[in-house]
Amino acid sequence: MNSFRLSVLSAAMVLSIAPVAADQTRPLQGIRDKTPNLLAFVNATVHTEPGKKIDNATVLVEDGRITAVSTAAAPAGYRRIDASGHHIYAGFIDAYSGYGVEKAPEAKAFSFGDDPVYQNERKGGNASNAAIHAERQWAHDFVPVADDAKGYTEQGFTVVQSARQDGIFRGQAVVASLGKGLPGELILKAEGAHFMAFDKGSSKQSYPSSLMGSIALIRQTLSDANWYRDAYGKQDTLISQQPVEFNAALAALAKLPQAGLVFETTDDRAVLRVDSLLKEFNLQNAVLLGSGFEYSRVNEIKNTGRSFIMPVAYPEAPAVASIDDQLDVNLAQLRHWERAPANLAAMANAGIPFALTTHALEKKDQFWPNLRKAVSHGLAADKALAALTTVPAAMLGLPEQLGKVAPGYQADLVIAKGDLFKDGEIVATWIRGQEHQFKPLQQPQFAGLYNLNLQGQALKLELTGEGSKLEGKLINGDKNVALKNLSQNDNKLQFTADLTEAAAGSGVLQVSATLDGALLSAQLLLPSGSRQQQMLSKESVPAKASDNKADSDTQLLSKVTYPNRAFGLDAPLTRKNVHIKNATVWTSDKAGKLENTDVIVKDGKFSAIGQNLSTPSGYQVIDATGMHLTAGIIDEHSHIAIEMGVNEGSDAVTSEVQIGDVLDPDDINIYRGLAGGTTTAQLLHGSANPIGGQAQIIQLRWGVTPEGLKFKDAPPSIKFALGENVKQANWGEAFTSRYPQTRIGVETIIRDAFQAAKEYKAAWAAYDNLSRSEKKVTAPPRKDYRLQTLVEILDKQRFVHTHSYVASEILMLIDLADEVGFKVHTFTHILEGYKVADEMKKHGASASTFADWWAYKMEVQDAIPSNTCLMADRGVLVSVNSDSPDLQRRLNQEAAKSVKYCGMSQEEALKMVTINPAIQLNIQDKVGSVTEGKQADFVLWNANPLSVYAQAQQTWIDGVPYYDINRDAQLQQQVLAEKQQLMQKVLGASDAARKGSGGTHKTNEPIWHCEDNGDWLKARFSGGQHLHSHAAL
Amino acid sequence: MNLNKSLISLLIAAAVSPALAHDIVPGAKQTAPVLLTDATIHTATKGVLENADLLMVDGKIAAMGVDLAAPEGAKVVSLQGKHLYPGLIALANQLGLIEIEAVRATDDTSEVTDTNPDIRARIAYNADSEVIPTVRSNGFSYSLVYPKGRALMGQSSLMQLDAWTWQDATVTDAVGLHINWPSTSTVANWWNHKKPEEMAKENAKALQKLKDYFVQAKAYADAEAAGLNKGVDSRWQAMIPVFKGQRPLFVHADDLRQIKQAMELAKQYQLKLVIVGGRDSWRMANELAAANVAVVFTAPYGIPERDDEANNTAFQTPALLQKAGVKFALSLDGYWDTRNVVFGAGQAISYGLTREQALAAVTINAAQIAGVADKIGSLEVGKAATVVVSDGDIFDYLTHKVSAMWIDGREVTLNDRNKQLHHKYSQKPAI
Repeated sequence: MNSFRLSVLSAAMVLSIAPVAADQTRPLQGIRDKTPNLLAFVNATVHTEPGKKIDNATVLVEDGRITAVSTAAAPAGYRRIDASGHHIYAGFIDAYSGYGVEKAPEAKAFSFGDDPVYQNERKGGNASNAAIHAERQWAHDFVPVADDAKGYTEQGFTVVQSARQDGIFRGQAVVASLGKGLPGELILKAEGAHFMAFDKGSSKQSYPSSLMGSIALIRQTLSDANWYRDAYGKQDTLISQQPVEFNAALAALAKLPQAGLVFETTDDRAVLRVDSLLKEFNLQNAVLLGSGFEYSRVNEIKNTGRSFIMPVAYPEAPAVASIDDQLDVNLAQLRHWERAPANLAAMANAGIPFALTTHALEKKDQFWPNLRKAVSHGLAADKALAALTTVPAAMLGLPEQLGKVAPGYQADLVIAKGDLFKDGEIVATWIRGQEHQFKPLQQPQFAGLYNLNLQGQALKLELTGEGSKLEGKLINGDKNVALKNLSQNDNKLQFTADLTEAAAGSGVLQVSATLDGALLSAQLLLPSGSRQQQMLSKESVPAKASDNKADSDTQLLSKVTYPNRAFGLDAPLTRKNVHIKNATVWTSDKAGKLENTDVIVKDGKFSAIGQNLSTPSGYQVIDATGMHLTAGIIDEHSHIAIEMGVNEGSDAVTSEVQIGDVLDPDDINIYRGLAGGTTTAQLLHGSANPIGGQAQIIQLRWGVTPEGLKFKDAPPSIKFALGENVKQANWGEAFTSRYPQTRIGVETIIRDAFQAAKEYKAAWAAYDNLSRSEKKVTAPPRKDYRLQTLVEILDKQRFVHTHSYVASEILMLIDLADEVGFKVHTFTHILEGYKVADEMKKHGASASTFADWWAYKMEVQDAIPSNTCLMADRGVLVSVNSDSPDLQRRLNQEAAKSVKYCGMSQEEALKMVTINPAIQLNIQDKVGSVTEGKQADFVLWNANPLSVYAQAQQTWIDGVPYYDINRDAQLQQQVLAEKQQLMQKVLGASDAARKGSGGTHKTNEPIWHCEDNGDWLKARFSGGQHLHSHAAL
Repeated sequence: MNLNKSLISLLIAAAVSPALAHDIVPGAKQTAPVLLTDATIHTATKGVLENADLLMVDGKIAAMGVDLAAPEGAKVVSLQGKHLYPGLIALANQLGLIEIEAVRATDDTSEVTDTNPDIRARIAYNADSEVIPTVRSNGFSYSLVYPKGRALMGQSSLMQLDAWTWQDATVTDAVGLHINWPSTSTVANWWNHKKPEEMAKENAKALQKLKDYFVQAKAYADAEAAGLNKGVDSRWQAMIPVFKGQRPLFVHADDLRQIKQAMELAKQYQLKLVIVGGRDSWRMANELAAANVAVVFTAPYGIPERDDEANNTAFQTPALLQKAGVKFALSLDGYWDTRNVVFGAGQAISYGLTREQALAAVTINAAQIAGVADKIGSLEVGKAATVVVSDGDIFDYLTHKVSAMWIDGREVTLNDRNKQLHHKYSQKPAI
C-alpha cells in the first residue's frame, strides 16, 4: 500500500520533486514520501451505480480506494473536498482504445498497380501472414502518455482497454488506468481481450486483398490455433514429415476463448458476418465494436446475442446547400444523418447490451455533446451511465474493482457540476485518489443586481452566469450597455463600461472588484482619472433563463426500410396465394407454351396450371389477359450483391475464400435485377486466379438478410479461370512474377493443386485410421481449407464453373479433369465453345455464354453471337448469362439475340435463361420452369418475353411478389418526397447538427467485374483511414 | 437449332467468297439503276409508304412511289413483305479506331495532352477492321467516329462503313470538335474518400482550365481575323470554324451541372452545341429544346448512376426528350457494341417513343446533328441511295433480319468475321 500511495503522490505532483520517483522493485533513492491519501468528498449527489443515487453524500477514499459512501459527516483527519452542487459518478471505462501503445506505421494508401507482395518475412514465431499480430501483448509495450490521458480524463474516463489497432489479429490488449505513474502500476490487467478486425492495416502482403479473403484468413488461423494446440510438440507427423513449427501467434490464439476478443465492425452487415464467423469456432467470449448503423438491422443484431462497444461519432450531414449538388445526395445518407443519434436508443430499446467508447470521434470533447444528443433521442441516462461504468467493467472482467462508487472499488470518480446527462459539466476526475481538476469546484457567485452610484447617478450593474460564462451590463434607466473586457479570476473581477453609450457620462469606466459574500468591493476608475471605492450590495439574483426549449430535432422524419436505402420496403414481404388468369404461359418444360392459361400459386409453389381454373377462396386474382408468364430468369454468372472485392486475386489458388461470406443484401442491383425479371443468380468469384473462390447461388430477395439471400440447399460450386486474366496478361507491368504467366503454367498449377489435395485427403485418412494411442503421439494434419475445397471437387460434392474463352484451354481443362478425376460442370463465357462443342458434350460439360460480346480482348476475337446455336446443335446444354448488373436486367433480350443471330426457336431461347441455367446450378428440381410442384418463381411480362418491347410487370420468388412495376412507380415518388423532407431538415439544422464528428456513411460497392483485381481490402480501409486521422490514438 | 433463312442465304454466299474479312470487297460503284419494289418504306421524314418502290440511280434516290416503272437496264429487286429503311447512322463512337480494346497496339483512340482540337479521327480509321462489317450487318451504314482523350479531345469524322481506305470512307472530314467536360460530381468513389468540398474544389479547377483554353483559342481567332497572328498555332487554328459556328461543339457530358456549364460556355461564345452522353438531359429537356441544343444520348440501356434513381430512368429518357422537343440521336459510344444501337432504339419504343421517332433517332436526327441531313438520313428523292432492308421490324430481335444494304447505290456485302467463323465451324466433323 505504501508504494501505491507514493506513486499516487508522485504523479499528482507531476514529478516535480526529484527524489520521489519510485517503484516497487527498485531501491528508493533519497527520502521516502509518506504523504497521506485520505479524502472526503462531501455534500455531493453520488451516483453509486446506474439507477442508484445518494444525495448529500460523503465519499471516503483511502490510498486510492473507496472506503465508504454514506451520508455521515467526514471523519477527522481527512482532506475535505466540498462537492456541494456536484454529482459524482464512478470513473468511466473506454474498452476500445489505442492509448499508451505506439501506433503502427501509416499504411500506404491503396493505388492501382502497386507491386504485389506474396510473402511475409518470418521472424521468431510470427505468423505467415503480415496482418496477424496475435502474439503481441500490448502490456509489454504500454507507456502512459499524459497529454493523451488528459483527452480521456477530461471526458471522465479513468480506465481504458488498449491495443494497437492494426491488422486482422491485432494482439492482446492491456487494461490500464489513465492515471499517472509507472506503467507496471497502471496496468490493471495485462492480458485483456484480443482485438480483431477485417482490415489488414499496415500489412503490405497482397493476401488477403478482399473481405472474403480476410474472412478466410481468420477462419484458417482460428482453425490453425486449434491444430497448433493439439499438434505442437508431437514428433510424428503425417504430411510435412517434420515437427510442427514454433508459431507464437498460433500459441497465443490457442488461449483466445479464455482471453476473449473485441471485433471491430464497420456496419450492420459486418455484425452479422462477424457473429456467424465466431459461431463457427464457438467463440462466445466476444464483444463487437459497433458502427452506428445497428438501428437499421436492430432485430437481427439483437438475435446475435452479442454485446457491443459503441462509438458516439455521428456523420456529417449530406451537402444540400446547392440545389444542383443535391443530385449527389442520396436518401440513405440523409436517413443515416438523421438517425445516427437515435442509434443507441434503438439498441437499448431492443435490449442489446453495450458499453460506450470515444473511438471514432474526431475529437474526444465531442463525446459528451454527442452522448447527450443520444439521450435527447431517447437513450435513458441510467443506460448511458451503465454503458460507461458497470457494463464495460464486466466486459473487462473487473466488475469488483471498477464501475461503481462503493467501498472496495477503485477511487475513480467523476465530479460534475450538474447532471452530466442533461447539461452538467465535468470539473474534475479523480483516478485512484489522484486529482485531475479542470475547473474549480466552487465558482464565486457574482451573479446579481447591484446598485452603483456614479457621481450622483443611480446606475445598476447586472451580472449573470458564472465562470467562463459570466457576463453583465450597466443599466441607466432604459439604457444599458454590455460590459467589456470582463475577466474573472477566483473572486476577483474586472470590466469596463462605455458611459457614453449608457448616457451616463462620456468615456469609459473601468472597474476592479472583489467578491466577499454578497458584497462586491469595487474600485472605480473614472474617465477623468479619478478613483472611487464602493461597496456594492447584491439587490437580487436574476432568475436563470430557462434552456428548456423543446428540441424539435429529435422528431425523426426518416423511414427505416428493408434494406435501409432508396427503394427499400416498409416491411419484409410475405408470401401470397394467387390465381393468375388467362396468361400466355411459357413453361420452359415439356408442356411448351400454353395460351389462355391459368396458374395457381399456393404456399410458394405452382399448385395448378391449366385453363379456366376456379379460384380457391382467399386467393388474390391477377387478370393476366394479354400478358406472358415465364419462370423467373436465372443467371449463371453474376457479381452483384458482393461486398469488398469479387476477386481474392493475390494467390493463384484461393479455393478457401467464399462469396457466401460477403453477401450484400442491400445492393440496389438486386432490386434492379428483379425489375428485369431475374430471380436467381450464381454469384461467382472473379477470374484472377486459376482456382478461384467458392460461389454462392442466391435468390434476389429484396429486403432480407445476407443469410436470407442464399438459395437454400443449392449444391456448392466454385469458380476456376483460364487464359488472359489468370496469367495476368492485362494487369500491368507490376504483375509478371506470379506463377503462372502462361496457359501452359495454368494447366500445371491446377494439376499440382489437385495432387496436393489427394495427398491431403490421404493424410487425413491415415490419421483417422490411427489407434487412440498412436494419435496421442502423432500431430494431426493441419486442416487446410484451400485443399479441403479441392477434395470436395474430387468427391463430386462441389461443381466447377470455369471461366474460359479459347478452344485450346477448353480442351486442356477437359483433358486435365479426365486425368485428375474431376468434372468440369459448366464452362462460363466459353466464347469459343462452338469450336469444341463435341468435346465439351463428350466430357459432359455445359456452357454459359454471352449473347454477343466480343472484340474487347485478344481471347475474344473469335467470339460469335451464334455460339449458342452451334453449341446447342451439338447437344451442349447452353445458357446465356449477364456477368453484369446491367445485362441482368434484360437477360430476356440477351436470350432473344440467339433468335436473331442464328434462328433459335423462341422457346429454346427462353430456356437459355430459365431451365438451362437451373440445370447448370443443380437446382432444376426446384426452379427454372413453370411446372406444378416447383417453387413459384415467375415473371409477368406485358409482351412476348423475347421481344425488345417486353417489360417485366411483376417478379415473384417463392410466392412472394418481390417486384411490381406499379409499386416501383410509387416508391419512386416516395423516395423523392422523403428526400425533400430530410433535405429541408438539414437546411434548417444548426451548424453543429450538420457537422459530423467522425461517423461515416456507407459507400456503395463499385460494379464488380470478373477481372477486377486490386487490393480492395486496402482500398476500402485505407481510403477511409484519413476520416479517423484526427482521432486521438 | 434452325438456322434462319437469311443466314442460310448468307452461308451460300460465303461459300463462294473466300472466308476472311479483309477479303470482303466493298461494293462497286453503281452503274445501272436499281429498282426496289413493293416494300414498306420507312422514310424517316415523310412517314411510312406501304407497298412502295424506290429507284436508285447513280448513287442517289431518283424516285419513290407506288408502281414505279423500271428504267432501261435497271436491276429490279422485289422486297415484297420487307421493310426498307434509310441506312442507319451511329453517332459518337470509336468504330475503326480500336480493334481489340485490351491490346494497346490496336487502339488509336486517345492522344496525350489536354489540347488536341487539331486531331481528326478519320486518319486512324481502319477500313479493314473486322468489327465494322459486324456493325453493318445490323443495318448501320454510317458512323461518326471521334478521338477520346482528356479535355479538348479532337474532331470527329463521319464515315460510311463500306470502303477500301479511310479516304473513300470519309463522308465529312471534320464534323465537330469534341470536348470532355470536367466532372461536376462531388461524390467520391469507393476507394477515394474525398469530401464533397475537396471534390468541388478540384472540379472548379478543371473547369477553369478548360475555360482558359477557350480564352486562348478565342484570342487566337480574333487576332487571326485582324491579321495579327505571328505564326500558326495548329491547335487554335482548328477551333476557328467552331467559333464561326461552322462546326458544332460536341460536349461529352452526363451530369446536369456539366450540361448547364456547357450551355453557358456555348452562349458566351455563340457556339453550336451538341451534348454527347446526356444522362441528365431529361432533367432540363425544356431548356435544351429552347436553346436548340441537340443530344446524342449514349445510354439507352443505362443502369442508374445514382443510388436513388429509378431503374428505368435512362430507358425513359428518349421519350422525355422527344416530348420536350429536343433533337436527339441514340448511340452507345463504344465500338463493337454499336450494332446494338438499333435495339436500344427498339427498347426506347417500349418506353414511349413511336417507331418513327425511334427511327429518326438513328437516321435523320443523327444526320442533322452531323450536318449532313441534306444528303443522308432519310429516304427522299435526291438524297444518297443508302438504304437497308430488314425482313421484319428492324428494332425487335424477333423480326430484325437485315438482308441487303446499299450505300450510295453500291450494294454492300453483308458478310462478317462472326458469320465466317460460324460458317467454318458449322462444317467441323463430329468427333
